[in-house]
Amino acid sequence: MTDTADTAATVREQTAPLLDVDDPGDRIDPVTSRVVAGSLTNICDEMGHKLMRTSYSSIIRESEDFGCALLDERARQLCETDSTPLQMGPIPAYVRGVIDLFAERGQRFEPGDVVLHNDPYHGATHAPDFAVVVPVFYEDELTGFSVTTAHHLDVGADKPGTCIIETIDAYSESIRLDALKIVEGGERNKTAWQLIADNIRTPAMVMGDVEAQISAARAGAERMVDLFEEHGHETVKYAGQDAMNYSEEHLRRRIESLPDGTYSAEGYLDGFPESTDPDEKDVFLAVDLTVEGSSVDVDLSRCDDQLDNRPINMPFEGTVVPAVLLVLRSTLLDTEEHDLIPQNHGITRPVSVHAPKGSIVNPRFPAPTIARFCPGNRIADLTLKALAEVVPEQTCAGTGNLKISTFSGVTDDEYWVYMDITSGSYGGRPGKDGIDAVDTLYANTRNNPIEDIESHYPLRVSTYELREDAEGAGRNRGGAGTIREIEFTSPGRVSIEGDGNEYPPWGFAGGNEGTTGAIVRNAGDENEESLPSKLENRPMAAGQRLRLVGPGAGGWGDPTERDPEKVRADVLDDLVSRERAREIYGVILTDDGSVDEAATRERRQALDDD
Amino acid sequence: MKILGIDIGGTFTDVYLTDDDVNEQTVHKVSTTPDDPSEGALRGVHEVCEMTDTPPGELDYVFHGTTIATNAVLKHEGVEVGMITTAGYRDIIHIGRHKRPQNYSIQQDVPWQQHPLTKRRHRMTVPERIDADGTVRTPLDEDAVAEAARALDDAGVDSIAVAFLFSYLNDEHEARAKEIIEDVSPDVYVTTSSEVYPQFREFERFTTTAMNAAIGPTVVEYIETFERELRSLGVTADLHVMQSNGGIATEEMVTERAVTLLLSGPAAGILGGKRRTDVDTPDSEATNAITLDMGGTSADIGIVADDEIVKANVRETQVGGYPVMIPMIDIETIGAGGGSIAYLDDTGAFRVGPKSAGAMPGPIAYDRGGTDPTVTDAHVALGRIRPEFFLGGEMDLLVDAPRETIRERLADPLGMDEMEAAAGVLRIVNNGMANAIRSKTVQKGRDPENFTLVAFGGAGPMHAADVARELDVSRTLIPASPGVLSAVGLSTTDLQFDQIHTTFETLSDLDRERLQSDYDALVADVEDRLHRDGVADERLDLELSADCRYEGQGYELTVPVSDGRRVRPIERIDAAFDAAHESEFGHGFDGNAVELVNERVTAYGRLPTADLVTIPEATSMVEEHVLFKDDVYFDVDGEIEAYVTPFVDRTDLRAGHSLSGPAIIAEKDSTIIVPPDFDVSVLQHGDIELTR
Repeated sequence: MTDTADTAATVREQTAPLLDVDDPGDRIDPVTSRVVAGSLTNICDEMGHKLMRTSYSSIIRESEDFGCALLDERARQLCETDSTPLQMGPIPAYVRGVIDLFAERGQRFEPGDVVLHNDPYHGATHAPDFAVVVPVFYEDELTGFSVTTAHHLDVGADKPGTCIIETIDAYSESIRLDALKIVEGGERNKTAWQLIADNIRTPAMVMGDVEAQISAARAGAERMVDLFEEHGHETVKYAGQDAMNYSEEHLRRRIESLPDGTYSAEGYLDGFPESTDPDEKDVFLAVDLTVEGSSVDVDLSRCDDQLDNRPINMPFEGTVVPAVLLVLRSTLLDTEEHDLIPQNHGITRPVSVHAPKGSIVNPRFPAPTIARFCPGNRIADLTLKALAEVVPEQTCAGTGNLKISTFSGVTDDEYWVYMDITSGSYGGRPGKDGIDAVDTLYANTRNNPIEDIESHYPLRVSTYELREDAEGAGRNRGGAGTIREIEFTSPGRVSIEGDGNEYPPWGFAGGNEGTTGAIVRNAGDENEESLPSKLENRPMAAGQRLRLVGPGAGGWGDPTERDPEKVRADVLDDLVSRERAREIYGVILTDDGSVDEAATRERRQALDDD
Repeated sequence: MKILGIDIGGTFTDVYLTDDDVNEQTVHKVSTTPDDPSEGALRGVHEVCEMTDTPPGELDYVFHGTTIATNAVLKHEGVEVGMITTAGYRDIIHIGRHKRPQNYSIQQDVPWQQHPLTKRRHRMTVPERIDADGTVRTPLDEDAVAEAARALDDAGVDSIAVAFLFSYLNDEHEARAKEIIEDVSPDVYVTTSSEVYPQFREFERFTTTAMNAAIGPTVVEYIETFERELRSLGVTADLHVMQSNGGIATEEMVTERAVTLLLSGPAAGILGGKRRTDVDTPDSEATNAITLDMGGTSADIGIVADDEIVKANVRETQVGGYPVMIPMIDIETIGAGGGSIAYLDDTGAFRVGPKSAGAMPGPIAYDRGGTDPTVTDAHVALGRIRPEFFLGGEMDLLVDAPRETIRERLADPLGMDEMEAAAGVLRIVNNGMANAIRSKTVQKGRDPENFTLVAFGGAGPMHAADVARELDVSRTLIPASPGVLSAVGLSTTDLQFDQIHTTFETLSDLDRERLQSDYDALVADVEDRLHRDGVADERLDLELSADCRYEGQGYELTVPVSDGRRVRPIERIDAAFDAAHESEFGHGFDGNAVELVNERVTAYGRLPTADLVTIPEATSMVEEHVLFKDDVYFDVDGEIEAYVTPFVDRTDLRAGHSLSGPAIIAEKDSTIIVPPDFDVSVLQHGDIELTR
């Protein structure tokens, strides 16, 4: 180290408040504030554009399972890109984790550093999502962070891919990257790079993706400095703080309009039905949400304890908190109405979340966490359910959770790994039906084109359609799930991390429950086999098929109040059978497919009398 | 030579006649007739011929830009569409890429589910399957196709989309299905996905096919009617229609691929901007232009780099929220126009747009009932738009009301001066446009300093200088007749036809002769098409290119692969891709394997371009033309101050005139604002150049 090291600031000093003021809005004019906010968003868009287009694995480039954000020196988020919420939400926690680890080790940020980090016990959402953190310096002073996160295809776990449901600790589920300076002062650490590459089954793809993450994060850092030069450092800092206050104020106003009180929801997550340990069979989750004034407190103390040998424990900072915040934002400040309110640190201020250590929502190190996706999305779903009690007009009935699969094999001595995310579905809404076949809540990735999958892997997608007769019936019906069937054309393995096979999505306001999902091997054949939603590396022979059936989401309102014309449309579209229309909706169709009004009235009366 | 351009916009239909035999150009505006747009257009053609004593039979070319296709999509006014698709995949166009348009919304609508291009009840599946290597896995069940066609006929659909998996590798099933459908229902409009655009990614291709099916019958009927009516006026020249790719299409081309007309209108504007920059750039230099077409509700931005109009990546092209997988000019549209409304939201933050007062009720200054302050009102408040000049003085303009409203609604609540607030409205709008331009230039490795900003549309010339300053663009052009540049652009285009073939091949495994034979097949196809349109070989140009990516990536970059018809050695294609990647993303991986994804051929049938007319040389001092001087407010380095500013009528200016800012140059359909730090010169074709 040079002799300036002794006098150099520690990481705590580097990340202490810089130019923080109580009244940022009074120090810059409102026009400049808008101009800077617009430019910050523009930078994040550029980062996302670069990362998506230069990455290799389909999980990033097609599914868009990545995130980009700019933070201030205190790791408070200023802006984010438009990819999937679960990648952006945890970014501040990653950076706080890096800062803590640096503080423990006596390290600090230097210009030219690039830090790689994936520790779920220091802010990561789970180990496969690597963060690349580039510190931003202006006039020799640390003033912010440019960060990209992305899901990697293989992370050197004891099994291929990142869908792992049998593992015992944080060491077996990934190579551990604890605030590792992969580039130090502009100099790449080639030894560390090699070590990581050698521990990964698909090194060309993963290291190529890390490369893409680094370029995008560096571009963000450069543009941030350009912005300081254009508008002045102080002006940009104040504009950032002003934007946070703005988002905070909007959320507080909305919370203030709700009646004070505690609103609760509880439910179960699919566990491990084949396990001999009764604690593992089902997992109980509960959300107690208290509104007080302009704040919300979310208490998760009633959730089950952690499972020591199952990786469905949820990192608190990196998964649970973002899940809760996502729902508050999507309901109270739904972008359909509030699209101009930026997603930044301000959104987090009115909300506190807590859970005791040792809980499944706040596990103790080194409990495994790699399969935390579906549990976290259930926490989001239950937060939505608690809110439905107090702001029904902004919520929806129960959502259908997803299934994430890893397909892998070895062809010509080379590993191939492919990840597939199935669609979920949204519950019926106060004014309209639920959304069919989309990613739900904190996930918003994209599926892979069938024509791309089959061109690059020994797989065939043999069916991809909506699921019929499985919607949660209601005045506004739940969204339809999907049926996706994948066939192996050469031998390999499949792992699945899913949910929704045991407990159907909840109905609301008199609406029916939805329908559970399923996983079936060789559907329709003699050897057809029903499988649980969590599956560890099952061998699959060439020609064998796996059918992934998504849940049908919950209904909203009494099905017998549904507009008969809408029931008729669903029947014409083969989404609802004539029998189901009659039995559940009380709608009778004539032979030519129109609504028999008299018979319908009679049938609905009979259903009411029952 | 006499060339007629007709551009139908939302409010006005512009007709532009250029006759280089007599060095005359005539611009005529008529009101658009929304119910039948051809009605207004015909009136415009008739009137412009009368005005110039041109017998319609003497017109050599008639070029047309239309929003009919776009409107049919945006207003969901397509015909009832049926789809016949592979068994097991009935809902590809409903599921989409299973991504929600908005991250943080429970109440949002998903466009392709909310307004399906074809309803599920009209999506029939038939047994057939092509595999990923193009071989037939399941033969086409022809009886099932006939049965599906009959069922759709009974259901009353007017148009059928045939969309099978992997048809981009092997189109025999789609082609056969089309024959069967045409046998069963001779009157139905049939579109196959391999004809529309044979490229991989099924959701995007199927959706494009369904969209073509939805708008095809409407577009074809419109074009046929219009052509017939032109004939009845005595026009003998063929009708040519502007496409989204920047080329022009014959009636027959449009009939097959109606979907290529989606950006017909804005594409013409970019061509116009390119043409004006071309003539004002020395022959030795490449044309680099940023086109900014700003109207009442939105601004369209396009880029010309190294003489070429930049095309969009087909993965990113969409219209009305639906993906559209066809070659298009890269046009960024943002909600910033003269009618954009400025307001304070409920926490007091300063906002401008995207809400717009549009043409009705319009800005407060127009006195048509508008009560919200708009961008135009901010210009009026700052003294830049004057009643004397507004639409040639033909319409009244309120001057005090805009200023008072800006004070009440914006300045007072924010504790600002009213001129500061008015200038703030413009700063926010200009910054939005500058950011949109940065995303197409700086972010793609293009330095705006090397570009000319061409600003047009009713509002473009008012914002050009401020946007240029923010981007450090060195030169800005305000073309002659900035309000009708799209119509001008129409008269400068060529016939264009694109063809594509998807193949996934590692470049290093490819043999040059193999590649040549692939391209020869594509070339034969496009040549045949242009020959049928009567293009002689000496007027036919070809461009051979390839979409490549590093093996494993998901986004392709397009690189040229030939000089003329002969493909280059494989190593040169590889190197060209490395260089393109470096320039687009800032890094390349020279050693990595490159995958060739799509082979592309674009054929151009060159059409003559009329010479631009010249304007007379200046013989007077520019000062003689100053009509009056008055206070106008400008924002210079954040200081808003009044400057005594001369007002000039553009029609008084001649080639060679020059003046220094501040100045306001007014004309009938726009106002050029020249801030104090800009200089102006008038060029030989009537374009006005602004420099700092």
